[in-house]
Amino acid sequence: MNPQLKGVEKLEGTYLFDIAASAKALRLNRFLHGFTVPGNRALFREDPEAAFDKAGLSPEERRMVRELDWAALIRYGASFFCLEKLGRVKGVSNPEMVAGFRGESLEEFLKTRNVPGAR
Amino acid sequence: MAKILGGIGTSHVPTIGGAYDRNKQNDPDWTPLFRGYEPVKAWLSQRKPDVLVFFYNDHATTFFFDHYPTFALGVGAEYAIADEGVGPRAVPPLQGHAGLARHMADALVNDEFDISVFQDLPIDHGVHSPLTMFWPPSPGWPGKIVPIEINVLQHPIPTPARCWKLGQAVRRAVLSYPEDLKVVIVGTGGLSHQMNGERAGFNNEKWDRKFLDLIARDPKKLVAMRHADYIRLGGTEGAEEIMWLAMRGALSPRARKIHQSYYLPMTTAMAVALFEEPQAKAGFKPR
Repeated sequence: MNPQLKGVEKLEGTYLFDIAASAKALRLNRFLHGFTVPGNRALFREDPEAAFDKAGLSPEERRMVRELDWAALIRYGASFFCLEKLGRVKGVSNPEMVAGFRGESLEEFLKTRNVPGAR
Repeated sequence: MAKILGGIGTSHVPTIGGAYDRNKQNDPDWTPLFRGYEPVKAWLSQRKPDVLVFFYNDHATTFFFDHYPTFALGVGAEYAIADEGVGPRAVPPLQGHAGLARHMADALVNDEFDISVFQDLPIDHGVHSPLTMFWPPSPGWPGKIVPIEINVLQHPIPTPARCWKLGQAVRRAVLSYPEDLKVVIVGTGGLSHQMNGERAGFNNEKWDRKFLDLIARDPKKLVAMRHADYIRLGGTEGAEEIMWLAMRGALSPRARKIHQSYYLPMTTAMAVALFEEPQAKAGFKPR
């Protein structure tokens, strides 16, 4: 156990990205990181199943990406910063992703913010 | 010899660069953000540094988890703007100061800071999201940068104490460069935010304001804290504040905070703080 992180396990609703999570979700995160390359984005837009095949994603990984199940993706071990690239490709904003993590609609989440228009 | 004029701590959330790119200066939702950077922009245009040394984090853009560097020093002469999923921002490629960076690589390694180096890799919003607010291109960038990447994505990430020591080693490296360069140190990231789980959207303005006080007045208190403390107080991504510690560690104990701004519109607390070294004073009056 990393002594720097002792106590973090007591925080609810927190999924720390560490080497174990990284190892578990390496294939998925590599697929998401691939959206930094225009050709990968084009393939995903035209034929998502072909993009999943190329990346060798499991049925569970495909379902989460297909349905943009943000909460499940984070629990699975996706890095937020890789998911952010999926968000950009799908036109989903960070506030909308955060709402997804919290199990809220975007409208519900924005009600909790100081300046809901600052998006 | 090179000298350090001061330092800047700043958030780097991508919406800062987005507000600049979309010309949101007069949008009341964004005006407070722009106002907060104006004194920093004015100070830089008066001081005219040659180089900004950036402590920043990559966001699984330049680097991927097949080999994620704990510390990596950019030693190139040019860095493309990275494509983060929608094509690169329409700003020119960043200009690197290869001479200073190569010297820093030698100095750091001989100071037992065995940093990895990278050449012409594209760089993401961790550097240029805030950069356009205080050092905008017109049309070229006003000067050069030396980027130093710090892993804050994949635990174990370097301790606050180690980042402070990296800052001190960078100070020694910069000050031993023989050319007469004016250098400003920048640390980006934070303040409170969390981007995962049901706790996502967590903020803590009280802690953020205490951090802004301690980083100037008593940084050793921040250096002694553990990551678990930063995460509890400022959210999982609040851990990015260690890059402010590296910046502060590269300044002298006599550096003074002469400006700060804080704005929390959405999910990330957007803060900027400007530090000035005493020898650099020449009548600059922050507003």
